[in-house]
Amino acid sequence: MSEELSNNDNPVPEGLQGQIAITSLDKIYNWSRRSSIWPMMFGLACCAIEMIATAASRYDLARFGMEVLRASPRQADLMIVSGTVTKKMIPIIVRLYNQMPEPKYVLAMGACASGGGPFKEGYNVVSGVDKFVPVDVYIPGCPPTPQALLHGLIKMQEKIDGQSVLEVPWYRSEPIDEIPQPLLGPDLIDPRDIPDFAEKLKAQEERLAAERE
Amino acid sequence: MYGVGLVKGMGVTIKHFVNTYVDDLRWFGRRYYNPEAFAVRQSPQAQGIFTVQYPEEKLIMPEEFRYIPFLIYDELEDGTRQDRCTSCGICAKVCPPQCIWIVRSDDPETGRPIPEPSEFFIDIDICMNCGLCSEYCPFEAIRMDHDYEISTYDRFSENIYNKEKLDKPASFYAAVRPLNYAIDEAAIAEKVAKKAAKEAARKQRQAEKDRKTDE
Repeated sequence: MSEELSNNDNPVPEGLQGQIAITSLDKIYNWSRRSSIWPMMFGLACCAIEMIATAASRYDLARFGMEVLRASPRQADLMIVSGTVTKKMIPIIVRLYNQMPEPKYVLAMGACASGGGPFKEGYNVVSGVDKFVPVDVYIPGCPPTPQALLHGLIKMQEKIDGQSVLEVPWYRSEPIDEIPQPLLGPDLIDPRDIPDFAEKLKAQEERLAAERE
Repeated sequence: MYGVGLVKGMGVTIKHFVNTYVDDLRWFGRRYYNPEAFAVRQSPQAQGIFTVQYPEEKLIMPEEFRYIPFLIYDELEDGTRQDRCTSCGICAKVCPPQCIWIVRSDDPETGRPIPEPSEFFIDIDICMNCGLCSEYCPFEAIRMDHDYEISTYDRFSENIYNKEKLDKPASFYAAVRPLNYAIDEAAIAEKVAKKAAKEAARKQRQAEKDRKTDE
């Protein structure tokens, strides 16, 4: 551990080697940050099954310090968007992202979360979660295998290693704005406007009224 | 009696825990990062924990494992690349999520189309790894890769693969999928033989025709 943390610019004096480590704030900050990324425990679609397999004993997220999948966004550092994001789900995803404390990271797992995948032109699917929340790592694949997910998580660790306390947005004096929650647009069709359905609805209402009497 | 199931479950965990150390002794401390031990650890004979120590150890993917497609080019004897792809567009038509975009090329002198793509794009953030493109390709030009370590930081600059990124030599294909490569080579040889036979028959017919007109 001390080799990993030690700063080559300031070598440890001869007599103290193996007893102390000289490091920079960035290095120790990034080391602790990346060694305990706690993902949020939620799954959206089939990619979630691969995510569960990754967390289980064969691939074992615990080797990266990520075994604590938190059920609460308040305790999570990483949001793994695992699967198709529907228009109904995106307000909830954005709310969960807003509720996460900084530093927070987002990983788009699979084709659907990164670019919409096979449903990119679907009427009810968000084609890429990066339209709403900032994504740090994209993992292609449909679904990505557990090893591909682990590769994405290692990439995430590398990204955190490259950050600097002076540059990250969450230590600046100005507050970070929340992402406005997207609203569902108007329905494409209102079933009550369809004549057949309107007739049936009217008949049903009449029947119910007759039963009540 | 309460707690029997709990004790039994914990027993299984402890058995795995102890077995890991027993197995480690059996391998003389070379239980990890050792291909031989890794193969045993992934087999039904596994003792103790069987975690894949990714990224130091990687599972050997079966041949039919598929991820992102790639294009095959043949290396000709004079060192130039000959794309197998003829830009017919069948893969783009069968692709269920429509992630393939082909730019056809024209002959600069005559302006007529030539069977070669000038650009070939696959948006791997759309690709669903179904393999239909490789199933339908009549020229054995597009095949599925095994490489899954392709996560990136930026989607638009890195995840839209162009022809340069997709092009792989036939030797790469032979290394990744040897059995499929053999099948493809047989198919290509058969096609070439058929074409040669057809050409020979045509020449013979032409010769007979010439002889008749001479008479």
